[in-house]
Amino acid sequence: MQIINSITALFYKEYKIAYKNLYDILTIILFFLLGIFIFVFSIGPNEEIFQQIGIGIIWTLLLLSNNLSIKRFYQNDFKDGNLHLLHMSGMSYELIVLVKLITNWFFLQIPFFIFIPIACLMLNIQNDNIYLILLTFLIGSPILTSIASISGSLNLLNNRNIEIASIIVMLLSIPVIIFSFGIIKAPPELIKPQLSFLIGILLLFVSITPWICAACIKIAIRNS
Amino acid sequence: MLLANNLSFRRENQTIFNSLDLSLSPKKIIHLYGNNGVGKTTLIKILADVLNSDSGEIYWNGKNIKKNTYEYFSNLTYIMDSNTSNNQMSVIENINYWTKLFSSNIKSTELESVLKMLFLNTKKDIKAENLSRGEIKKLELIRLVIEKKKFWLLDEPYSGLDNDSIVLINETFRNHLNSNGMIIFASHYCPEIPNIETIDLAKYANN
Repeated sequence: MQIINSITALFYKEYKIAYKNLYDILTIILFFLLGIFIFVFSIGPNEEIFQQIGIGIIWTLLLLSNNLSIKRFYQNDFKDGNLHLLHMSGMSYELIVLVKLITNWFFLQIPFFIFIPIACLMLNIQNDNIYLILLTFLIGSPILTSIASISGSLNLLNNRNIEIASIIVMLLSIPVIIFSFGIIKAPPELIKPQLSFLIGILLLFVSITPWICAACIKIAIRNS
Repeated sequence: MLLANNLSFRRENQTIFNSLDLSLSPKKIIHLYGNNGVGKTTLIKILADVLNSDSGEIYWNGKNIKKNTYEYFSNLTYIMDSNTSNNQMSVIENINYWTKLFSSNIKSTELESVLKMLFLNTKKDIKAENLSRGEIKKLELIRLVIEKKKFWLLDEPYSGLDNDSIVLINETFRNHLNSNGMIIFASHYCPEIPNIETIDLAKYANN
């Protein structure tokens, strides 16, 4: 019973903080939209080109905006000792990571479901493809959140060169990009296998992320 | 009952302390004392299972705390050197969060009187980042009352507090000891509490 109370308490706190930092989420979305604008300006008004590369642009920017959320994961809670406090309330680090993954996915990735269609309209992408992008993003976004979480926990003790965290995220995201982009270009009979592959990556990441992050957090706390 | 034997800690090839033994039974209070850099916070962190000691073991009721971590944690309130209250949440939000987190059965009237005693009752809706240093420390110390655990481990509980609050904290310590509690704290200030045991960490330094 106590563990359930602790989990609700953590959800409550994450919600409060996310609500008070709404502009953080807005910044990330603004980055995403502005990035697309810049692509449009630099390539010029050519509908055919955008139909070919539009989806790639959207996925690239989703990945880059995911980089902006790395610091939100554990950095503050680690510095003020909250991670240990949560541990002392009876939660294992794996559980803390899992709750953080759910809340961060909810607050940072769900808003994109509204803004991806807008971006698609800006890039003149066909309606059928918009559904596919949203479907791949539904599967791909938890993977992106997991990757940001892994990178954030790996860099808890790293105060000097935080940019390396972004590089880790980009490296790990390559498979997500390949398969998400592949689905849209694939002929209809190949959509399903590609989708299963993407779901496979999702299940892999969801199952290993709590253990990896918990191990990293433990190491960081022992060396703090 | 807390027992620690032969604790030692090294950092960057420098011994901070060596072969330190410690035992604490109910109704006892230990004051860790020593100059800066002598290892007070380090020892407290080792006792709270934040850091690993290089040698020695810690037992709670005869069980190694490394193997029975959660049982130990369910008896331990740890006030850290950093402030665990969230800057962006108001005083009352922080308190609500802790109450839920530790499944506390503290009554709202009790909480109200504690807040009144600490002069925080008028600042309930103020964000923690707008409080003064002493007020943040007081907010932090409210966790002692919320968690209602047996063993209190405090790192610099007096830093930044005014005289009234110090008297109040000492009173709380005495009450806790009378109800079979146990306390270890590190501070430069020496409070007037009967049967206080003082450990000078300089004695265990490198030799």
